[in-house]
Amino acid sequence: MSSARIGLLSAPITLALSLVCNIAVGVEPSAAGPAQAPGAITASGPTESPAVGPAGPEASSDAGGPAPAATPSVANGAPDTSTRALDEQIQDLKKSVVDLNKDLFVLEEELLFPANTQVALFVSMDVGDFFGLDAVTVKIDNREVSNYLYTPREVAALVKGGVQRLYVGNLKAGSHELVALFTGKGPNDRDYKRGASIKFEKGVGAKYLELKISDRVRSQQPEFEIKDWE
Amino acid sequence: MIRRIGRLCAGALFLALLQPVTAGAPAVGDMAPDFTLPAAAGGNVRLSEHRGEVVLLTFWSSRCSVCVAQMAALGNLQTTYRSAGLVTLAVSVDDDMKSATQFAKSHPARFPLLLDPLKTVGRAYSIELIPTTVLIDRRGRVRFLLADYHGTDNSYVAQVRALLDDPL
Repeated sequence: MSSARIGLLSAPITLALSLVCNIAVGVEPSAAGPAQAPGAITASGPTESPAVGPAGPEASSDAGGPAPAATPSVANGAPDTSTRALDEQIQDLKKSVVDLNKDLFVLEEELLFPANTQVALFVSMDVGDFFGLDAVTVKIDNREVSNYLYTPREVAALVKGGVQRLYVGNLKAGSHELVALFTGKGPNDRDYKRGASIKFEKGVGAKYLELKISDRVRSQQPEFEIKDWE
Repeated sequence: MIRRIGRLCAGALFLALLQPVTAGAPAVGDMAPDFTLPAAAGGNVRLSEHRGEVVLLTFWSSRCSVCVAQMAALGNLQTTYRSAGLVTLAVSVDDDMKSATQFAKSHPARFPLLLDPLKTVGRAYSIELIPTTVLIDRRGRVRFLLADYHGTDNSYVAQVRALLDDPL
């Protein structure tokens, strides 16, 4: 799946990045830079400065007045605007690459995991004072589909309210069984292993299940629950 | 003529068979294969979480005497350059996790000693000699490989400095 994803996504991104590079390389040394700059800046404020720029030296040379004083500021102004225009073009291209990436990701999800067969598993933690999550192993119909090790940073994100998509796959319609095995540190920093299971019906639409870890304050123990999102 | 074509075909077949075997090892410039492993001291460590830092990855075994010397040297290096963004990770390639854990307890290091019971990381990096040191830059690319450390080869120190100087 990952190689397919890389294959799908890398080609357009590479193309777009090469376009960015080509533009950057092509514009910089040639005279095309100043010519393109006013066009690119039209939407923003500094349109006036290029117009003033070329007119400045001519006017001052005609008058024969203080030309040398005006020249440096004009010379500095023109490259600034062209660089700004180039920056804006690059930013636009980057944005379009990000948009394209997003569209491709959605397309990939739709192709690899069609809605009628899709099963997605999410992990969430509520409080987490009585359980330090270390790993989750998930089996669907006695087949291991995920074995995930959590780093302290990920656990902290879950405790803060984050929800992690642990697994996404395909299942045919019918009844299935999911078993989740949670490993970590329980109360008093002891090694703790608990399992939870659910039998669910996979219908025509996508199926979403949530592995929820919460604290049971009354018994001072963690609670593991698998929730079926209808 | 036919013999020559036959030899060429045989050579091509040999190369084709060789390809998958060598394709697994990351070369200098390749992206370092990501992994998540449990540390002997507890907790898990994921390589990709250290993107933006220079990672010195070393593979060790409890039966390797040179590894002890190298780990001491790496501990000093880690202490010196931690603030500059150096992260050292040591992955065990032991068959027996008990001896690896025992080793980790008896040789406390200043960096995480990771356990790889399924040897997936050792296989991903195609480790053949111990200790092997891999340097990964801030972008997650393999930049330096040092196999067969003898205790005198400290060429990776200069590489670490160069990578730490290289901004993201």
